[in-house]
Amino acid sequence: MAGHASVLSDDSVLSRLDRGLESVERKMAFVSGLGAFALMVLAVISVSGRNLFNEPLRGYVDWIEAAMPLIAIFGISYVQRTGGHIRMDIVVGALKGRPLWLAEFLTTLAILILMVLLVWGTWAHFDRSFDMSKPNWSRDSSIDIGLPIWPAKLVVPVAFSVMCLRLVLQLWGYGRAFLLGLSEPVAVPMVLSAAEQAALEADQVQGHD
Amino acid sequence: TFVTEAAATEWNVSVWGKRRAFTEHIHKLADLVSEKTGGEFTMNISYGGLSKNRENLDGISIGAFEMAQFCAGYHADKNRAITVLELPFLGVANLDEEVAVSHAIYAHPAVADEMAQWNAKMLMTSPMPQYNLVGTGEPRDELAEFDGMRVRATGGLGKAFSAVGGVPTSVTSSEAYQAMESGVVDTVAFAQHAHLSFGTINQAAWWTANLNPGTVNCPVVVNIDAYESLSDAEREALDSSVPEAIDYYLSNYGALLQRWDEVLAEKNVTKVMISDEELAKFKDVAGKPIHDAWIAEMSAQGLPAQELYDLVFKTLEDTRAN
Amino acid sequence: MDSIEIGLWVTGGMFLLVVLGMRVAFAAAFAGLVGLIWIFWAKKGYDPEDFTWALTVAVKTAGQVPHGKVSSQALSLIPTFILIGYLAYYAGLTRALFEAAKRWIAWVPGGLAVSTVFATAGFAAVSGASVATAAVFARIAIPEMLKVGYDKRFAAGVVAAGGTLASLIPPSAILVIYAIIVEQDVGKLLLAGFIPGMFSAVIYAGLIIGLALVLPNFGPPVKGFTWKQRFASLPPALPIVAVVVIIIFFVYNPFGGDAWGTPTEGGAIGAFIVFLMAVFRGMRLPELKDALIETAKLSIMIFSIIWGVLIYVRFLGFADLPTAFSDWINSLPYSPMLILICILLGYAVLGMFMDAIGMLLLTLPVVYPAVMALNGGEMVSAADSTFGMSGPMCAVWFGILVVKMAEFCLITPPIGLNCFVVAGVRPDLTVQDVFRGVTPFFIADAVTIALLVAFPAIVLWLPSLA
Ligand code: NA
Ligand code: NA
Repeated sequence: MAGHASVLSDDSVLSRLDRGLESVERKMAFVSGLGAFALMVLAVISVSGRNLFNEPLRGYVDWIEAAMPLIAIFGISYVQRTGGHIRMDIVVGALKGRPLWLAEFLTTLAILILMVLLVWGTWAHFDRSFDMSKPNWSRDSSIDIGLPIWPAKLVVPVAFSVMCLRLVLQLWGYGRAFLLGLSEPVAVPMVLSAAEQAALEADQVQGHD
Repeated sequence: TFVTEAAATEWNVSVWGKRRAFTEHIHKLADLVSEKTGGEFTMNISYGGLSKNRENLDGISIGAFEMAQFCAGYHADKNRAITVLELPFLGVANLDEEVAVSHAIYAHPAVADEMAQWNAKMLMTSPMPQYNLVGTGEPRDELAEFDGMRVRATGGLGKAFSAVGGVPTSVTSSEAYQAMESGVVDTVAFAQHAHLSFGTINQAAWWTANLNPGTVNCPVVVNIDAYESLSDAEREALDSSVPEAIDYYLSNYGALLQRWDEVLAEKNVTKVMISDEELAKFKDVAGKPIHDAWIAEMSAQGLPAQELYDLVFKTLEDTRAN
Repeated sequence: MDSIEIGLWVTGGMFLLVVLGMRVAFAAAFAGLVGLIWIFWAKKGYDPEDFTWALTVAVKTAGQVPHGKVSSQALSLIPTFILIGYLAYYAGLTRALFEAAKRWIAWVPGGLAVSTVFATAGFAAVSGASVATAAVFARIAIPEMLKVGYDKRFAAGVVAAGGTLASLIPPSAILVIYAIIVEQDVGKLLLAGFIPGMFSAVIYAGLIIGLALVLPNFGPPVKGFTWKQRFASLPPALPIVAVVVIIIFFVYNPFGGDAWGTPTEGGAIGAFIVFLMAVFRGMRLPELKDALIETAKLSIMIFSIIWGVLIYVRFLGFADLPTAFSDWINSLPYSPMLILICILLGYAVLGMFMDAIGMLLLTLPVVYPAVMALNGGEMVSAADSTFGMSGPMCAVWFGILVVKMAEFCLITPPIGLNCFVVAGVRPDLTVQDVFRGVTPFFIADAVTIALLVAFPAIVLWLPSLA
């Protein structure tokens, strides 16, 4: 199951930064995946505890809720790097060359503005639940076993900050492609036609049937 | 006209679930305020559209809406001071007493300080009767049968059931029915209106009539900036409407409680009476020890815990003396 | 400008951003955030001094959504269902299913195609995603069909259509998403998908058998398997049965006792069984690591749309647009059934251009309340309702209908993703070939949808037992 191979590379500074960040992002995505695996293990413990030992897992729901931001958000930048967030490509798919890079630049810029604001907003969300003067630094706790919630809330602005770095690199990539009129720029996900996209997805499952 | 529109004050109010006895005082308050100000000051009550229930206090702090309802047990660390009201076995006998103790605690400076950190000011309580259990299967009328029982109970109630071996398992109120049906929980602790409104009574085989372990505390708060920017007339209309709104709530809830026995009969739910010895045993484990632990823990965090705790009992005495 | 107008402008702007190719998750979040700023600023009469205040409140309100909405026990089903699907490849379940289906049912007219349909239906029980199912079976089933002389276009069409079954038959990520957005019982929706999913499979099979009887040389039966061979094919496919039984029992106990737990637990236990199977079949750490990263990527993609759309929904809450839309729909002088059919046709058109999950997430916050109001409200009883079913049951029925519509769109031109996938796997087939081959299945799907609309009991019987 190879990842999407749609980001080109060379020895430029931009490409090296791209690959450097990618190795961080890939680790973050792996943590997200581990979280999904932990969810499965947690359920096995909970169900067998309840049915075999009459000892349900205390705070099962609290633990799931604490793990979800890690699973659902932590690796968001890796998905952006590989162009994995879905979109409608009827318009973009028809563009080529400079108009394409301009369109990509503009939508990426809009995402960057959004994510910078959301880093602020999600940080404020974390900050309201965090108080160094309180036990466990906690000013918000879970419902059953009183877990502090701030670590789970902190996951989001951290993930979004990495995403902002990724977006800056992509803006650099698209801007460069636009200025130099490149046809195969590095460090940005290449637009694939729906058919190419499908072929890639099909590749992912190859060999495991 | 345009001019009056510009002068009008419209508050957004964030609550959750659907309209029920638990939210009637808010609707009454909205009606009274609008009436008293000739429609100048209106409230828009939103059920879940403005915030998630466990984040209503956050929304007030941000200033996204002006008024909201929340429950202390959802997030003890956000509102440590008022968790005194959720301690098990405080001995509150009826809704009038619940209103009196709640409002006395809300008026304490330690509570006002903590709420001010959320830019919030206590307006009124949403008095709830004692949370009794409904359950499936054989009635659990002995303490020993609470061991390993999966119970939907939050805050201090959850602690009380933990003390006798139960396992508090939180599902949101709207998932309680499904949780009972699927055996995720064996029992659900709710006030009567919630057993009706969330359908847990339809799953129940029995209801504990006299366990009376305690209740949850759910205040209605306002955003301080919004409150202060009201005109004098508007503020007066709001403040003066609180007692009326509470009265309306109490009479509405009273009617519901009167119907309760009929509902039990209609749904074929056994009314379980727990013996005095069993109750005494429960209180021994889940009453005083939990109270003492609460006082120690909160004092260590710099709250006037003993003072708040004593205020509850002093208020109860005063109310009963009147 | 009143809040409804702001709601309409922002919603229009969001669709414009989506069409221009902004990633759906961020287009929705962006529109929602702009909408929140606008509505807070409007509240202060657009006073320039209050812009900073409006911006701050809007940003902080939006900032609550990603953590707040994602931290949900019910949503934890999505990564679990996705993980099951990836693990299933390593467990060799696809090949095992096809072998079993071939040995048991390929003797009927059009045998291999019918076997393919039932094997995809079986695989649907461990796969939450349609596209993956189509990709896997394109590799296994098409070569076998070509060997016995099937038309290659038709063979491809069978696989593309069979793949769509994965989203109705539980586990289904898209049904979970629907349940979350409309705040309905996930368990009931998953149960509800089971019979319509099997029903679709039977209609596909009936169509194939009919074609085989009418057309000469079409899909000859494959005979000659001994009973011994047949029974030998069963054990490798058994984990599928185990997963189906477990998920059903965790939602609803057919023998009348308590269900075994929640759908969340059922999904996770199912994943664990498939995981053990995969380890037994030779999956090791590097493969597991790949499976986890792929699970993460797909989950995060879906969750990004969820929180992005929910920022937009939070804005809708302040603008009160869903109420306004619902009032408008209900004031139309047409019969509710006609309006419902128009809504479904609207989904068919939108689905031609959009991904299924994005389409449902973007539209449901506004469309769903309107449909519920058409039926008489969220809490209406069956007796007082327009469509003859209670509010919660109408939510289930509409959910299955829109998901079936969304699946239908996976095989329709111009962007029918399943068809692209099949063409992508088979170098000898063009996309046009697959679209040609899948055409008979449009008719089958149209019949299925019509029957589900006309006879809601097909959808509602199973969940009404639970
Ligand atoms: Na499925
Ligand atoms: Na399509």
